Amino acid sequence: MSNHKKTPIILKHLFLALSSMLFVFPFIWMILSSFKTSSEVLQGGFWPKEFHWENYQEVLGVIPFHTYIFNSFYTSLIITIYVLISSALFAYMSAFYKFKGKELTFGVVMATYMIPGAVSYVPVYVMLAKMGMLNTHFGYIISLSVSVFGIFYLRQAFLKVGHEIVEAAKIDGASDWKILWKIVFPMTRSSFVTLGLVTFIENYNNYIWPALVLKDNDKKLITNGIADFFINSSLGRDWSHIMVASTIATVPLLLVFLVLQKWFLSGVSDSGIKG
Amino acid sequence: MQIKFSKAVFFLLPVGIPLTLFWIIPNLFSLGISFTDWDFMTNDFHFVGLDNYFNLFTQSSFKQALLNTLYFGIGTVIPTIVLGLGFALFFRKNFRGSAIYKLMIFSPWVTPTVAVSIVWSLLYEPKLGVINTVLGLVGIPGLDWLKSSETAMLAVIIVTVWKLVGWTMIFYIGALEKVPDSLYEAASIDGANAWQKFRHVTLPMVSPTTFFLIVVNTIVSLQAYDQIKILTQGGPSGSTRTLLYLFFQQAFEQFDMGYATAIAFIILIITILLSFINKIIGDKWVNY
Repeated sequence: MSNHKKTPIILKHLFLALSSMLFVFPFIWMILSSFKTSSEVLQGGFWPKEFHWENYQEVLGVIPFHTYIFNSFYTSLIITIYVLISSALFAYMSAFYKFKGKELTFGVVMATYMIPGAVSYVPVYVMLAKMGMLNTHFGYIISLSVSVFGIFYLRQAFLKVGHEIVEAAKIDGASDWKILWKIVFPMTRSSFVTLGLVTFIENYNNYIWPALVLKDNDKKLITNGIADFFINSSLGRDWSHIMVASTIATVPLLLVFLVLQKWFLSGVSDSGIKG
Repeated sequence: MQIKFSKAVFFLLPVGIPLTLFWIIPNLFSLGISFTDWDFMTNDFHFVGLDNYFNLFTQSSFKQALLNTLYFGIGTVIPTIVLGLGFALFFRKNFRGSAIYKLMIFSPWVTPTVAVSIVWSLLYEPKLGVINTVLGLVGIPGLDWLKSSETAMLAVIIVTVWKLVGWTMIFYIGALEKVPDSLYEAASIDGANAWQKFRHVTLPMVSPTTFFLIVVNTIVSLQAYDQIKILTQGGPSGSTRTLLYLFFQQAFEQFDMGYATAIAFIILIITILLSFINKIIGDKWVNY
């Protein structure tokens, strides 16, 4: 390669390295600060003079972040599994079958996608209260068990499978349940993985709704836990402890992302939008 | 294929039941509540017709929130789209190191908004925060960021754009990969320079994706709450209070449910209007 071609490549790498550093800088700052003393955090140095691992013990001794993380993981997991199965069933019908009232059913479902969640918060809150399901993970989980995005996403994937395969299986006498899970599912597995990851992350990161519904300390999710810890500390903030809490809330997700990155970086955009 | 509704219904119910219970019925109830003066504490309420809606437009807090929402929406969506496309242009073809750059740019999307907003509030500290320190190094006077009503919204927008750029970029990379090389080759033969290729090949070819991303990012920005709650709580002096934030204060701090649900329906109406405008514009200039 000649020299006049090399310079732009070096410039490109320099530009990309600098700007992608900007995107991860808050994480680096957060992790490094979590090992500093509180006064050191505000002195603005980069590297900790000494790594104070005991910060983590101190924070976990006061606030049960491990309980919060467990709550977040398991509620998100149940919601994700239910969303995957229920969306697949719905998407299967809408992608491969015609029936009376289909247009109306599908139209109503799609219309709800436009409605901001906030519109239904007050009545759902009242309803959960009346059923005695405030402050329960069960009430929280069932109130989030539908994903219109999920239906739409899987439907796009199913349409690519094509009618012929489903019709052929039907003629061979296979039931719809079998066709969905034995034929269609293996062909669209990557869409399921991507939808599963996106659903899991969105629920793990969800804040407003769980903050309204789950008030008890042992029921809280990590997002409410950390937000309360931060807001309650507004007088005399111990920044190193706050950075410990942020690290605990953030790093598990970054690790999941690192391990499963290819599903995000290739699958997310592949939702059948032409372009 | 044709199927009887009575047979299809078993596949539709796992979505249909929760959707009806937690979306359709509550939304209808919400519409009803917005015509009352219900205070949540008592069972006693009166129908007030459209009063809640008319009152909204006489209140300065509502007008301020409406303008803030507009500022926040435009201020978030445009930079997100421009930066997302800008970065994606680098990654149309894989090269050594491209995966790591993509990973780093996308990573903010994965993390909880409340947790990373807490980190940003440390970065924004006026006296000793990193951002002002760096600005000082290059001779720019530091800003008050979250502490001043002049700059607080800008600070909230920066955090939101930081979170959304990677997600937007991934969609654009997917779209750019599908643009055939032959189009660029043909443009080169016709003597087009890099800008002309971008203007006359790339932009039209990704216009459906742009259209889609504007809609999605606008809806996301109308629903933004977490970062505002952590960074500013709507302040200083209401400068970062958006419609959704006002809704939450009215509903779950003031317990003025009629007024709050009326705000929620205004947000819904704005969403519908934007979708229509987008559709009209989309039909005109999107190339399918």
